[in-house]
Amino acid sequence: MRLSRRTRLAGVALIAAGSLTLAACGGGSDDKSEGGGGSKSVITVYGTNPQNPLIPTATNEVGGGDPIDNLFSGLVAYNTDGSVTNEVAKSIEPDAAKKVWTVTLKDGQKFTDGSAVTAESFVKAWNYGANPDNKQLNNYFFYPIEGTDDIGNTVKGAKTVSGLKVIDDKKFTITLKSAESDFPLRLGYSAYFPVPDSAYDSAGKITKEYGEHPIGNGPYKLTKSGWERNKQISLEPNPDYQGVHKPKNGGLIFKFYAGGGTDAAYTDVQSGNLDVLDQVPPSALTTFESDDKVKAYNEPGSSFSSLTIPERLAHFGNDEEGDLRRAAISEAINRPEITEKIFNNARTPASDFTSPVLDGWTDKVAGNEVLKFNAEDAKAKWAAADKIAKWDGKFVVAYNNDGAGNKEFTEAMTNQLKNTLGIDAEPKVYATFDELRKDVTDRTIKTAFRTGWQADYPSMLNYLGPIYATGAGSNDGDYSNKDFDKLIQEASAAEGAARYKLIGEAQAILMKDLPAIPLWYQNATAVTAKDLKGFVFNWKQKPDYYALTK
Amino acid sequence: MWWYVAKRLLQTIPVFIGAVAILFLLLQLRQGDPVLNLAGNKPVSQEVRNAIAAQYHLDDPWYSQMFYFIKGALTLDFGNTFSGQPVMDLIKETFPVTVTLAFMALLIDAILGITIGTIAGLNRNGFFDSTALVISLLLISIPIFVLGFVMQLIFGVKLGWTSPTVGGDWTVTDLILPAIVLAIANFAYTIRLTRTSVAENLSADHVRTARAKGLSNRAVVRNHVLRNSLVPVVTYIGINLGSLMAGAVITETIFNVPGIGNAAYQAIQQGQTATVVAIVTFMVMVYVLMSLLVDLIYAVLDPRIRYA
Amino acid sequence: MHETQPGTRPGQERFVAPVDETPLREIDAVDIDAVPANQWKEAWKRLRVSILFWLSVVILGVIAAMIFFPTLFTDVKPTTVDLGKSFDPASDGHPFGYNQQGYDVWSRTVYGARASVAVGFFTTILTTILGVVTGAVAGYYGKFADTIISRLSDIFFSIPLLLACIVTVSVLNNRFPDRGFWLSVLVVVLALALFAWPQITRQMRGAVLETKNLEFVDAATAIGASRMKNLWRHIVPNALAPVIVTATISLGVFIVAETSLSFLGLGLPPSVASWGNDLSAAQSQVRSGQHLRVMYVPAAALALTVLGFILLGEAVREALDPKARKK
Repeated sequence: MRLSRRTRLAGVALIAAGSLTLAACGGGSDDKSEGGGGSKSVITVYGTNPQNPLIPTATNEVGGGDPIDNLFSGLVAYNTDGSVTNEVAKSIEPDAAKKVWTVTLKDGQKFTDGSAVTAESFVKAWNYGANPDNKQLNNYFFYPIEGTDDIGNTVKGAKTVSGLKVIDDKKFTITLKSAESDFPLRLGYSAYFPVPDSAYDSAGKITKEYGEHPIGNGPYKLTKSGWERNKQISLEPNPDYQGVHKPKNGGLIFKFYAGGGTDAAYTDVQSGNLDVLDQVPPSALTTFESDDKVKAYNEPGSSFSSLTIPERLAHFGNDEEGDLRRAAISEAINRPEITEKIFNNARTPASDFTSPVLDGWTDKVAGNEVLKFNAEDAKAKWAAADKIAKWDGKFVVAYNNDGAGNKEFTEAMTNQLKNTLGIDAEPKVYATFDELRKDVTDRTIKTAFRTGWQADYPSMLNYLGPIYATGAGSNDGDYSNKDFDKLIQEASAAEGAARYKLIGEAQAILMKDLPAIPLWYQNATAVTAKDLKGFVFNWKQKPDYYALTK
Repeated sequence: MWWYVAKRLLQTIPVFIGAVAILFLLLQLRQGDPVLNLAGNKPVSQEVRNAIAAQYHLDDPWYSQMFYFIKGALTLDFGNTFSGQPVMDLIKETFPVTVTLAFMALLIDAILGITIGTIAGLNRNGFFDSTALVISLLLISIPIFVLGFVMQLIFGVKLGWTSPTVGGDWTVTDLILPAIVLAIANFAYTIRLTRTSVAENLSADHVRTARAKGLSNRAVVRNHVLRNSLVPVVTYIGINLGSLMAGAVITETIFNVPGIGNAAYQAIQQGQTATVVAIVTFMVMVYVLMSLLVDLIYAVLDPRIRYA
Repeated sequence: MHETQPGTRPGQERFVAPVDETPLREIDAVDIDAVPANQWKEAWKRLRVSILFWLSVVILGVIAAMIFFPTLFTDVKPTTVDLGKSFDPASDGHPFGYNQQGYDVWSRTVYGARASVAVGFFTTILTTILGVVTGAVAGYYGKFADTIISRLSDIFFSIPLLLACIVTVSVLNNRFPDRGFWLSVLVVVLALALFAWPQITRQMRGAVLETKNLEFVDAATAIGASRMKNLWRHIVPNALAPVIVTATISLGVFIVAETSLSFLGLGLPPSVASWGNDLSAAQSQVRSGQHLRVMYVPAAALALTVLGFILLGEAVREALDPKARKK
């Protein structure tokens, strides 16, 4: 059963999918494997040395995340367009209130060590991930489940999540804190993968050895050499795999680039030493589409960039002056100019708070004209705010320098603010992501700062609730609006058109308050070797690794 | 002589401790929270954060972090990186490639630099000297990242003479291009120093004496000029191995060399203090051994210096 | 620890050929009539007639003019920016067009001289002063002073410069969050100098060790010069030559180091116009090969400045070198 009832794709998603299909067809008959017989080629893809052990609940960075997504299968699998298909689950059925979900597993599902995938494999792994004693960084994903706190930890004093109940070997139930009609969409995320019994030691801890040589149930398994630190992770097809992402290639090698050096990786694709690089370095953005040494891909993507001006800052409070100034700043930023001149159109100016690749997305959110460059109105609004309280000082935007392209766009943006509003504005550099995030999470930051969001699962609500709901985990600007909270709650439980209407109303509130100023959607850009076929971006801006062939 | 070596090695102990202390102190002043790096954009609960921080002593003051570090270091146990790999293994994997790279750069630097510098010094203000000046000047003024990208593009991608990047399965041939790029940054120094030193020695008393004795020009240059001129050059080249290894950060990034410079840079970025210190400790060791070697070479080059 | 043994030295059993018969007349002909007065005054006398010196003066004069009177070179302010003009070609009053952000390339280069030269200059001053004093003391007095200074310089020098700077700059940046031009420069200067001085120390010490065994020092000691006087009057000036050469080249290297730090995002903040910022921003042009002028112009200014300082160093060194005294 396809869980997504949305078979119709929304505007941009359709275009994206259209070009994807074309790209995939461009390869022609891709089953014509050279050398004949079963000798399928191994594909080398860009990777970075994982920063955490390869345990599904322990890692959420791409270096470890990409291999894990290929080594494990969850209850559902994401299709290229972001809808889901049952993978290990035979069915996932809600009760009438959409609060209690009953999961039934397919028969004959096995881990690569031969042990069966049971209800316990899931529940035990999730309980492990949610228990803070185990120091798992992905616990956050369990927050919708009854028995966890706001950040997904088991509630104080409990060792297990009360919302999870094993019925028998093949069946368990998940009880949610509140109704959620698209809950199964979450279940393809890596935090929800199963872990075999052999992973745990006698004390019930996942062993260090397992973290280095994980045993999964996914399309691939580790080769003998497996994870070679600072070099590569090698994967080969799992012969027992029964799911929907059956590998078409002879295996994957995630080749590590020191310091995430996409520049070096780009050079490797050019010279035939790497097959796939799924993020084009800024230095190649102007040329990669005309580079005859590679195949280029450039499509709208799912990550969203914004500028957050906390309400704590003087002149930017939750009042008329603050609203005027936020709107003025938003209107003073010429987004198309930046996306063209700085990003060479590898970003698309934002017209809402979500992403154009999602079902239900529209560019007609009420009040989104505040995202259009309008120098006159910006000046007028700034002047009106000046009448309430005189502006003095400097408007500073903080960015972390270890993210590619951050410096360039922050500088361009503050220059536009200077020119349009005639105020003093400048970028402020933080060397690393964690230094910026520390000031942000400690609420000690005294400037505006760049923010971004990469969704965990393909739903517009995932771009709204976790960031702007009162007290939400990633609500860096401490935004709070009761009406917004209520609309999000209702949208969660609603379905179809009714749900999108509620989301539209919620977004209209954000357009007025601008808890974050939407900037642009990041395009998915990639280059591959000339002879690589089957490259398709999925909703996560990642290739469907199983479909790659040469 | 051996007594001298032993004494010098003993003196390195305070150097190690001093370097370790400075690093811990500096890294303590860094204001990030490494756990946030691990968590990415996702919120992380206080319990999990504290548990991870406790495991790596992240919240301890620098002196107690240093204490844990030294205690472990005595048994060559530098703890684990955040990804669970023993730091010692990380060093074992990344150290050889960087040492090879740095030695190759050193060799290129020494051979080319001393040769060109000597010729320039012997023909002071001649055509060769002026050309060498201009070229060394150009090399010094082009930032290494520009030079690296350009050479990679020309020799690796356009001409295909060599692999443009190195990667996990490195060979010495792969390292030639990065080694040249790395050497070039120091090259100008070596040329200038050799040139100056040679020119100066040409007019030194003992050289004049040698000439006066009627020695051939060749013999004078080889036995009297070069031998004395090389003292400052050897100092410079020798103690530079360490900075070559660290300077490899940028070269290693450009050419994807899985080396120690990069490992250290990554660890700094991720706030993995103990890993940084462990790696730098190894670099310090290289430095200490090299500077001991330099002092011993002094004695060979300059018979007036004797070690007792 | 170094202990020297005055035994036999090359040149002690020397055979001196009649001056008139050897072709060495020119270099051998020391002006014994010259007043042995002020060494620096004499150096100046020699400098005045050096072509190298005047060439460097011209180059550095131009750079200095850029620093102190930028409006002589361009009417465009370095803060004038229009993203719409990104990479626009040269036009009237804008001889090298615009860079990616839409700044005038020439104006940014002219105004960038200030920060870049300041970093190189002050770092060199700081490291040279620290290095010469510590190196001279260590080399001359030896024993305890040498041990302390050598170990201390070992500690700082053994920590690789670039890695140390990465850490120091990011620490200092956080300490001085809202910093203007001079504070920004100071942060980079301190980070570089803190770990770069031992190089000079090391060199100075080596040179002093070598010089203090030379005959003229023995002679000075023999006629009763005090140790202190000996060090500063006779040894340091003679050991200074290689240090000056290193220092002048270092000046260029420090300017380039600022660009390397900028490459890693830890140089001067974007709000300060500097060659390092412009060069690291130009790196993406290297791959595409387009608009390379945004790199050439600051790179040329950088090369010219480095040239100026090396030439100056060369000229001063020759002037200071007592052995080069000619009639």
